[in-house]
Amino acid sequence: MVLRLLRYVGQIAFLMVETFESIRVAPLRWRLLLNQVAEIGFRSQLVVVVTGAFTGAVFTAQTYFQFHRLGMDSAVGAVVAVSLFRELGPVLTALMLSGRVGASIAAEIGTMKVTEQIEALRALGVHPIDYLIVPRVLALLISTPLLVAECIGLGIGAGYLVATEVLGVSRAYYMTNMLSFTTGRDIKMALIKGTAFAALIGFIACEEGLKTANGAAGVGRAPTQAVVIASLVILISNFFLSFFLNIFFPAGTY
Amino acid sequence: MIQVIGLHKTLGVEKVLCGIDLIVPEGGTLVVLGRSGSGKSVLLKHLVGLFQPDAGRVLVNGEDISGLKERQLGPIRKKVGILFQSGALFDSMSVGENLAFPLRESGMLDPELIRERVAEALGMVDLAGEEGKMPENLSGGMRKRVGLARTLVSRPACILYDEPTTGLDPIATDSINRLIRRLQKRLRSTSVVVTHDMKTAFHTADRIAFLHEGRIYFEGTVEDLRASEDPVLVNFIEGRSGESD
Repeated sequence: MVLRLLRYVGQIAFLMVETFESIRVAPLRWRLLLNQVAEIGFRSQLVVVVTGAFTGAVFTAQTYFQFHRLGMDSAVGAVVAVSLFRELGPVLTALMLSGRVGASIAAEIGTMKVTEQIEALRALGVHPIDYLIVPRVLALLISTPLLVAECIGLGIGAGYLVATEVLGVSRAYYMTNMLSFTTGRDIKMALIKGTAFAALIGFIACEEGLKTANGAAGVGRAPTQAVVIASLVILISNFFLSFFLNIFFPAGTY
Repeated sequence: MIQVIGLHKTLGVEKVLCGIDLIVPEGGTLVVLGRSGSGKSVLLKHLVGLFQPDAGRVLVNGEDISGLKERQLGPIRKKVGILFQSGALFDSMSVGENLAFPLRESGMLDPELIRERVAEALGMVDLAGEEGKMPENLSGGMRKRVGLARTLVSRPACILYDEPTTGLDPIATDSINRLIRRLQKRLRSTSVVVTHDMKTAFHTADRIAFLHEGRIYFEGTVEDLRASEDPVLVNFIEGRSGESD
């Protein structure tokens, strides 16, 4: 089990090294990169927006129900905003992307692997890392922080509407407290986490695609593996990342 | 042109190739025969660097390609083209885009010139005017033809065919066999054909090598093979399994 885990980490690290080498030595394929940004970033907006908005709304409501008993209604906005920036926004966006994008990357590359298309690329003198991996990983690195920001923005907006229009919290106190408790450090933490999760989703999905074998059964397994592994790694690494980043961007100080 | 010296390859726990020595003469056609799973395709893929040998060397035009890294193999792969068993067409691209792909990748930018070269290659495989079709709408035989056209479009000096007729009906098989022979005459390229189909072997070969238990069991002309009385060769040629009903 430990050996398998170490081998897997080694394979991912090897893929990362090859990808960075490709970025350094091979010309970037701009058309493929823009296609992937459209596919991965632009077309993922619906799931991210819906996730962000409804999580923000329900989280606001639950926080209000607890805080209301203590007479702390106006603190709800600050709690929701900081939680969305530091934890919920990056993690939920990454989980949704690992389902939508990670699965599709693993399935596409896996299908190309079992139908000899990746060998055909190599035989035509095209390095598969340059052609398949670099555009997808870069597109994820570009798109994910923007999607995280969108998710958080919609979450805060939906929370504001629920708190002020449905639950009757004062707009002025809600906004003032939210703005005074939310700092640039929270925004930086969200973007750093988003970038780290983007790399994890990209490399795990590409690795699962590239090692696909055994025909249709293998192609069926690749996206499942990609989603399961990426989701677990996101949740576990988020725990450690939160503690690590808190050293540089401490929460609760102004 | 291509020389294989003492090639060994193990895949997983199975020793697939156990010391292969082979010379592919320039301008000629070598057919590599053998049973399914005998390592023919693995041997073929070594010739273009898609597999790296565990031991031994592969020389292309005198250059040892066995130790080269992926990025260093680019120039070799411009000289040696391979037709995959399935055709291996890029299914997200049309036939025309599949053929234009190697040209664009090698730096050709003029769309008119690309269109001409694509049309010429499709003409060679009797599929003129099929540029707009998607691979999913092609039959097995047509896929192999388009795969062959994509190999030919870069004008390689050597063409490797991996099971060019497997899975085709007898008419399509005959058509591909004749196409291979026609291309050999027209392009005078060096060819290696891997197959277990005796018709393909007899139709296309100048020389035949028989791969058995990881080694070259026989090498000679078509006539030598026909005249052989070796039971392993005779059983293979006549398709006798040796089992009773």
